[in-house]
Amino acid sequence: MNVDRRQALQAMLGGTAGGVALLTPAEAAASPIDDRDALGMLYDATRCTGCKACVTACTAANDLVPDTVLSNGRWQMPTDLNAQTKNIIKLYEAPDSPTHSFVKRQCMHCVEPACVTGCPFGALTKRPEDGVVAWHASLCIGCRYCEIACPFEVPKFDWANFNPQVVKCELCRHRFAEGGGPACTEVCPTGAVIAGNRADLLADAKRRIAAHPGQYFEDRVYGEHEAGGTQVLYLSHVSFAALGLPTLSDESLAHYGTKVHHVLYRYLAIPLALWALMAGIIRSRFKHHEKKARVEEASTGLPPQL
Amino acid sequence: MSSDDTTTAGAPSLHPRDEMTPCPWQRGVHVWHVPIFTRAFVFFLALSIIGVGLSVVRAFGGLDFTGMNDAYAWGIWKTFNVMTLTALGSGGFAIGIAAWVFGRHELHAVMRTALMTSLVFYLAGLLALTVDVGRPWNMWHLAFPSHWNTDSSLLEVAVCMPLYAVIFLAFENLPPVFERIFVHASDNLRAVMVRTMPIIKAIFPYMLAGAYVLPAMHQSSLGALLLLAGEKLDPLWQSQMLPLLYVIQAGVAGVACVMFTLMIASLYWQRPIDTRVLGSLGRLMSQCAMAFLIIRFADLAWRGVLGRALALDGLALVFHAENLLVGLPALVMFRRDWRERPRVLFVSAIFAGIGAMLYRFVPTTIAFVPGELKFYFPTFLELLMSAGYVALTVVLYSVAVKMLAIVPGSLDQWYGAVAYARRRFRTIRVDEHGQPSRH
Repeated sequence: MNVDRRQALQAMLGGTAGGVALLTPAEAAASPIDDRDALGMLYDATRCTGCKACVTACTAANDLVPDTVLSNGRWQMPTDLNAQTKNIIKLYEAPDSPTHSFVKRQCMHCVEPACVTGCPFGALTKRPEDGVVAWHASLCIGCRYCEIACPFEVPKFDWANFNPQVVKCELCRHRFAEGGGPACTEVCPTGAVIAGNRADLLADAKRRIAAHPGQYFEDRVYGEHEAGGTQVLYLSHVSFAALGLPTLSDESLAHYGTKVHHVLYRYLAIPLALWALMAGIIRSRFKHHEKKARVEEASTGLPPQL
Repeated sequence: MSSDDTTTAGAPSLHPRDEMTPCPWQRGVHVWHVPIFTRAFVFFLALSIIGVGLSVVRAFGGLDFTGMNDAYAWGIWKTFNVMTLTALGSGGFAIGIAAWVFGRHELHAVMRTALMTSLVFYLAGLLALTVDVGRPWNMWHLAFPSHWNTDSSLLEVAVCMPLYAVIFLAFENLPPVFERIFVHASDNLRAVMVRTMPIIKAIFPYMLAGAYVLPAMHQSSLGALLLLAGEKLDPLWQSQMLPLLYVIQAGVAGVACVMFTLMIASLYWQRPIDTRVLGSLGRLMSQCAMAFLIIRFADLAWRGVLGRALALDGLALVFHAENLLVGLPALVMFRRDWRERPRVLFVSAIFAGIGAMLYRFVPTTIAFVPGELKFYFPTFLELLMSAGYVALTVVLYSVAVKMLAIVPGSLDQWYGAVAYARRRFRTIRVDEHGQPSRH
């Protein structure tokens, strides 16, 4: 697939009198990326020791300024994903038992990302070659619709900056050219987070579940179906909700949010038909209106008001 | 006010033909005899200058002074100044369709008020939208359709809303502007205008049709924005019907706003009130509100979340408030005799207007519950700017009605205004009826 999803959508034809452009049909848009091409990560909470090597590696690889607010400037200590933090390790402790778990949070790289659907000028794209959800500064108007749309609340806005960036994990796509992968997966000492294509990762995750029955929560992989599927997958011994991963339906928001839109706006047929219908009705009423105004003007001497 | 002194023009008729017409609202009449700079006007002007001035300052700094955060990334400018106030500015859309498409001819009397309120609310909304954008230097992509992501409802709003306000609404507001220019114009300019008028009249029906399709598109897209919010939006609101309900509530809010504006203007500038036209507006508002309630409850039943409405939590109470605020006025406006009482009309318009505004405000704010627990409340400066944009609408409206024949009045008022203008402005060239004349 060598046509960008956004470009495929966009072949715009010329404007009509109203400046309305015609849209291409929606089918041209979504041809999902093959799971074997889709680059993703598998995070296994049972293997994570919470060392946070991935957090510092991410900060270094992405040239971010470490968030040291909580430690009074001594060491990196982000409280959540933010404009300086694309990757974070959080701790969950069960309230009444010694059960605990770490969780790594970053962009999930959805198979059908809501942020890409909402982004007005395509500053967020789903890369056709590897499915990475990438942000392009030159196209972003800073509307923050991605933050409203993302069900995982991943994109963060650089509020303090005059030239604000949208900050989120892009799977270290800038390192691909030199043969690098996601920095977090390269430094993980226990293999709690590994990189690979989605098909392999999913198979690997299911092998682990089969090998250790009862160890994993609900014997399932989070991200296989959630929100239409994600390229970052999770295994956990505690509930996914406890780790802050939202309970989502299998329908992607991109699909939910555009299925009616795509029918209503296909070729702009419905709006144009509506326009033509109303223009016809108004034209005949307007003629009548004008005639009445002329008669009134003749009888009263008052200037007609349109 | 008793019905006696509001349904009759009050002052003795200045023109014998006036007695033949039962309807006091016969044509748009300037608000004359009142200076533009009144005390109230100066207050609103100052507030709007502060709001617009802060917007210029904002252009040179970030958004850090606002209370917005990553969980509530849309603050009061988008949720109130755009989402809510453009609904109030949908009077031109709703009343226009009722009059021109569905043939409610009596509503032509208030069309100019509807179109002017729409224009000022849209202009203020567009200003708020521009200020809210964090990387405005990339807005140039808007001019190039090949750069558009046509999947995006926000793109639809960003394209459609300025197009509607700057071209279609501006066009619809041209006739009163032309009238004013014409009576002052030189013979050469008049000749040009006389040649232009047929062109305007030729495209008029097509522009009007466009002016009704475009708001239907972007007002529904404002609702469609929330579809992508998915589970963050409470199930009482999250629905495929959001876009449709948003358009209908734009109708309720727009008509309510026009009713309110007309009655306030009539009280403030001592105009007679035409309860026949206001009653017709009330009926239109009631019909929109009923459609809203029927579709909303049918949709809740269809999705099986009616039970959620019975929960006694805050959000369910907000839901009931939304329905009652538009539902009660809708019931009241069903009765013909109540539609003739100015006090009932006024109170109904206020309640339904607040209800519709609430519905348009809630999904992006109160019913929007992100997983990340954060709190958003606008900062003082944010609120000041928001208030400034509202003040701007008041300023633009009051200048417009004093310069142009917009507020509906009786023939008494028309002849009064014409006589005053002929005495006051020596350059004005109109005869005693207000017809442009040569001197």
